[in-house]
Amino acid sequence: MRNHLKLLRTERGWTQEQLGQELGVSRQAVNALETEKHDPSLDLAYRIAVLFARPVEEIFDNPHI
Amino acid sequence: MLALGKSTTAAHRRYVLRTMAFMIPYVLICVSMMVTDVFDEVIGKPAGWFLAAAVSAPVIGQLWATLSLIRDSDEFVRAVTAKLFIISAGLAMALATFWGFAETFAAAPHLPGWLIYAAFWGILGLVSPFVRTSN
Repeated sequence: MRNHLKLLRTERGWTQEQLGQELGVSRQAVNALETEKHDPSLDLAYRIAVLFARPVEEIFDNPHI
Repeated sequence: MLALGKSTTAAHRRYVLRTMAFMIPYVLICVSMMVTDVFDEVIGKPAGWFLAAAVSAPVIGQLWATLSLIRDSDEFVRAVTAKLFIISAGLAMALATFWGFAETFAAAPHLPGWLIYAAFWGILGLVSPFVRTSN
């Protein structure tokens, strides 16, 4: 799923490891999200939205539009 | 899958340690069985059943270690691990089925059934580089 996670992460100067710790997931999971190798669950998508204080739709492109 | 770098999770580190704990006795028994005659005297005796159970127990332990990894990991690692094990188990079953029928109908040489566990891990190692997505 196309997303802006890498941009948001680098804007804050975080590594994938640091973002993973903030979200409670592994660095591999963050990398998989950024490289579109994993579509997040609704729960994880909402956690990411809360962390970056943005709506889910601003972080993940809706593939159905 | 068995890398133990600093970026691995606690669940993954536990999995590696548990895997080593189960695999080391399994491999030691198998290698001893293949290269020495230390177990020959139990052939055909009740102790042979005990040996069979003893060498199978680590396989059950490894299944528990893998299920624990899946339970304790994040959703991406969980999905990839499950996908990897399903593919590897499926290919191992296909290989065992193929060879079993080849023995029956194509006069292929007989191979011990316990080799399938080693084949499973070999297959898992081969397919791991290609299983990188949860989709």
